[in-house]
Amino acid sequence: MELLLANHGSYPRIGDSPGQQRLRRGYAQHERGEITSKEFEAIQTSLIQEIVQEQAEAGLDLVTDGQIRWYDPISHFAGRLDGIKINGLLRFFDTNCYIRQPVVVDQVAWKGPILVEEYRSAQAVSPKPVKVVVTGPYTLGQFSILESSRYRDLPELVVAYTEALMKEVEALAAAGATLIQIDEPSVLQHPRDAGLVKVALTRIASRKGRARLLLATYFGDAAPLYETLQAFPVDALGFDFTYSRVLGDLIARLGSDKAVAFGLVDGRNTRMERTEEILPILHRALPKVKGSPSYLTPSCGLEYLPRDKAQLKLKKMAAVAAELVGRG
Amino acid sequence: MSRAKLKGLGIDLPIFPTSTVGSFPKPDYLVEARAKFAKAKIDRKELEELERRATAFWITTQEEIGLDVLVDGEMYRGDMVAYFSELMPGFEQSGLVRSYGNRYYHKPIIVGEVQWPGPMTIGWWRYAQGLTRRPVKGMLTGPYTVMDWSFNEYYPDRRSACLALARAIRREVEVLVEAGAKIIQIDEPALSVRPEELPFAIDAMHLVTDGLPAYFIIHACYGAFDAIYSQMLKLPVDNLDLAISHSTLNLMEMFRRDPFTKDLSLGVLDVHSHQVETPETVRTRIEKGLKLLPKESIWIDPDCGLKTRTIEEARGKLVNMLAAVKALRAESAGN
Repeated sequence: MELLLANHGSYPRIGDSPGQQRLRRGYAQHERGEITSKEFEAIQTSLIQEIVQEQAEAGLDLVTDGQIRWYDPISHFAGRLDGIKINGLLRFFDTNCYIRQPVVVDQVAWKGPILVEEYRSAQAVSPKPVKVVVTGPYTLGQFSILESSRYRDLPELVVAYTEALMKEVEALAAAGATLIQIDEPSVLQHPRDAGLVKVALTRIASRKGRARLLLATYFGDAAPLYETLQAFPVDALGFDFTYSRVLGDLIARLGSDKAVAFGLVDGRNTRMERTEEILPILHRALPKVKGSPSYLTPSCGLEYLPRDKAQLKLKKMAAVAAELVGRG
Repeated sequence: MSRAKLKGLGIDLPIFPTSTVGSFPKPDYLVEARAKFAKAKIDRKELEELERRATAFWITTQEEIGLDVLVDGEMYRGDMVAYFSELMPGFEQSGLVRSYGNRYYHKPIIVGEVQWPGPMTIGWWRYAQGLTRRPVKGMLTGPYTVMDWSFNEYYPDRRSACLALARAIRREVEVLVEAGAKIIQIDEPALSVRPEELPFAIDAMHLVTDGLPAYFIIHACYGAFDAIYSQMLKLPVDNLDLAISHSTLNLMEMFRRDPFTKDLSLGVLDVHSHQVETPETVRTRIEKGLKLLPKESIWIDPDCGLKTRTIEEARGKLVNMLAAVKALRAESAGN
């Protein structure tokens, strides 16, 4: 079975050298009105070009645009839909990163493509295929404040977000995206809502066209939900192995009909994994995975790390993969 | 019970003791001086002189407002974790990571055994206490939060990193107590981020406070309290400081389930809002607490540090907080 090296999603926007700080300077200049939006977007575009190169040079088969243009993974989607206004800052899980919280004030509706241009412009400058990341309807719902009386409760709001994202996924597939990742970290905090997420993904999957759908779970232990997730209508399941000691054994024991995205490299700690910590898990679990290709990825987006460490983590993945091939 | 403990420590406070959570806004001259110091345009001595001036300003201001338990205002701190990690052996600084928007910071990395470097806060506590007859709180960031807000490259897991930090922080508490601090606040804003880790966060707090003669307050300003409330009662501290000014928590229901056994600091000012709460708003929030607990168990404070407000906003909020408290005290004395 094939194992591809893939980035997870976000990537550090700045580094410590002055050249790597141009986005930060541009952001401040744009806020002060010293540069136009167009000039600021050009800085973002050049940064995306730089980081897709950085990922390709590290040896990745699939890259992301690093979510450089996003304020955060919640408001980037919710804020571009009808019926939502964006509120103040809220901590994103237990990270030191904050999102802007959506407030649902009216009927939620898709206004037009959110990521299609981002995908096209990243793919245009990338030597490798670009994976697209969409925050899932359940996680969007969990981070939203429901003010409108159009929706009675979270399940109804999730349906509304699902209908918007179905159109987004359809547009992305039509634009040529081959791998679309749906991020649903919140389901690990609320495992009893897994059924809600399954229904949402079933509807989204009906619009994926020829694209592969990868469900990414992280910031929690997916082992208790493992068998439930196997019944989800997606091509691949992504797991954060840093929260679970048993997940590797579980896959080895139960197998997987779906391809697996092995999030074995910690995206939240600068400590560099040793190859011998990762390799045995892949040796045990990978032969039991039926779906193909599978992926070796960081455990979550890499923007929680400094830039230099993020790059080293990607190189570590490449080193592990080389070792895996070497030993057959 | 805690009131008796305070008396035993020689501290006599009125009903509804008032305090603040720790940080105050830095005056413009200090903000400028810190920027100059970062660019090596002034030396540490010049910076410290201004930090002392600003600390003295806040001690006087707190006395004028009428607060009962004072703080030094943290004029010498940038970040509540970085201040300690920069002083303690075992830490390095990472490259920049993003917090939100265009805000980036250097996150500490634990790269070796963490150690107590000798007194980290005593000088400032002594200076502040020397300016007033009212008690000044000793202020420390707790081991769980320092661990959670740092990368860990040295310890095998989060628990052992947390406990090692607790042993180092205890040394600081010991010298604060020796220096004469009677009330010590441990800031643990990260405490509730991973409910499954609360047992070792509690173990760590035992290492920090056990057997030491001081009244301990723990400040935890956000998170899933409903999930961890009953366990939080096991924390070996005298006072829990919770943010309730804009909380949707059903404290009443939680307290009915597991009766509250400590003193409670009610965070009644929303530090994230520019709006200065009226005394009536503050009163309503206090009355919410009075439905839950006997008045003898309640302290009154803002829901977090005031450093992100302007000096005028901070002062305005606290003046109105005291107006509400004084009215309630008068009514309470009349009853």
